[in-house]
Amino acid sequence: MLVLRDLQKQYTKFRLGYLWTLLEPLGMSIVLWFVFSVLLGARALGLQPYLLFLSLAILPWWWFTKGVAASTRVFRRAGGQLRISLLPTELWVLRVLLVSMVEFLLSLPVVLIAMLVTGTWPGPLILLFPVAIVLQFLLMYGLSLLISAGSVVIPDLARIVRIVLRALFYLSPVLYSISNIPQQLQGVAALNPLVGVLGLYRIGFWPEEIESAAGYGISLALCLVILVVGIIVFRRIEPRILKEA
Amino acid sequence: MARQDLTRDLDAALAFESAGVRMPRRRRRRGDGRRQRLRRIAGEVRRDEVWRLRDATFTVAEGESVAIVGGKGSGREALLRLAAGTLVPDEGSVRRRLGVVPMIDVARSLVRGYTVRQNIYLVGGLLGMTPDDAGRQIESIAAFAGVESILDKYLGAAPPLVRQRLAWSITMATGSRAFAIEQTLIVGDRDFRQRCWTRVDEMRDDGVTFLLASDSPKQFRRFCDRAILLDNGHVVAQTSVPEALSMLRESRRRSSEPEPDDPDSTTDL
Repeated sequence: MLVLRDLQKQYTKFRLGYLWTLLEPLGMSIVLWFVFSVLLGARALGLQPYLLFLSLAILPWWWFTKGVAASTRVFRRAGGQLRISLLPTELWVLRVLLVSMVEFLLSLPVVLIAMLVTGTWPGPLILLFPVAIVLQFLLMYGLSLLISAGSVVIPDLARIVRIVLRALFYLSPVLYSISNIPQQLQGVAALNPLVGVLGLYRIGFWPEEIESAAGYGISLALCLVILVVGIIVFRRIEPRILKEA
Repeated sequence: MARQDLTRDLDAALAFESAGVRMPRRRRRRGDGRRQRLRRIAGEVRRDEVWRLRDATFTVAEGESVAIVGGKGSGREALLRLAAGTLVPDEGSVRRRLGVVPMIDVARSLVRGYTVRQNIYLVGGLLGMTPDDAGRQIESIAAFAGVESILDKYLGAAPPLVRQRLAWSITMATGSRAFAIEQTLIVGDRDFRQRCWTRVDEMRDDGVTFLLASDSPKQFRRFCDRAILLDNGHVVAQTSVPEALSMLRESRRRSSEPEPDDPDSTTDL
């Protein structure tokens, strides 16, 4: 319900409406492709075709940043509504997450465009694509719970999150592939749950470029841990959230 | 986790047991917000909290209408929110057998950028209506509030009066068996108020439970069976309505000799 209204509001505001969801990531992919592939000619970076490689990671990445950034503002925006709301408080977090997720799903045709342009088609492992979406959803739900609750207690958290997200962009295999990292650091990189998630998005196109099963296992486990911790922390801070409303 | 945990085997509609809640202090002294935060981080000052309600113990039987008597800052909003479960007590417990609908400045939750219809779904949903419920009642809600003509217009700059009326109508339509009403803000024209009170009367006859906080002694006398007198976060007395009102007047006279007519002078904020 709320999700639909939010989307409706957003899409009626701009003239191109839905097209922007497509144009924005598409433009971003093209710019990055141009810089890293044409200008720098960095063949070693990522996998070919680079445009497809990029767009496959940028879309989920945007969903990730938008959702997490929005979750710092959830309860400030909710204002008086929390005072009378008989709905579970988690719903406010879920709402923001779902809005960003729908946007992500709507922007998926960008991948299709990239596939057409580059003439590359996925193998059977593309079936893992929905798994990646579910996994990212769980990860983000846990994180959003943590961050939304945290930013009620610590007002400065929003800024910290912004910086961390910026750093995470370069620390995650968005622009590059996990195999670009030196061998000895790959183990450390697996501790970033996004590595596994992004890997699952790409696995359909580059099956040979699979990270070790253990890597995915670690990612999955981390996602679940974050989810559980998020739920527990949220429960504990919930009275505080209600007081501040 | 649902906000309202119901205790089915409770023998009253609502039971407070030495319940208390701390709230962050509303008014911040201007200018030194940052310094205060630094000091808080340094551990010099604990978070600025005051007890809004302490050691409140009472029960409300089903079908009763209870007046919450007390001036601003006496903790009545905290009490109502605790009753409805939109606030969790820091000590003691609050148990309820019925779902309590909070009617605390509902009009503030209406969203300007939504149409009247969307607002009914939104606020109705907040108060526990299912979308189906809201959809079925939308016509009657709009009719009660007198907003049929603008049902699909944006709420936008609708006058406060209209917002208040809409808020009232939605709350009344939830069909709950218990309400916690903070009623200082109702303005409304005479005609609409009359209709509201008629509705409340009907519901009382029907055995619906009410907690009413208000500034109007008239409303208390007209609608409430008994009263809980609050002063500075403490339940001072549980007594009949006229007695509670005279006690309140008494304490006001004592605490504000210079300006006996100013109700704000009793506030501690």
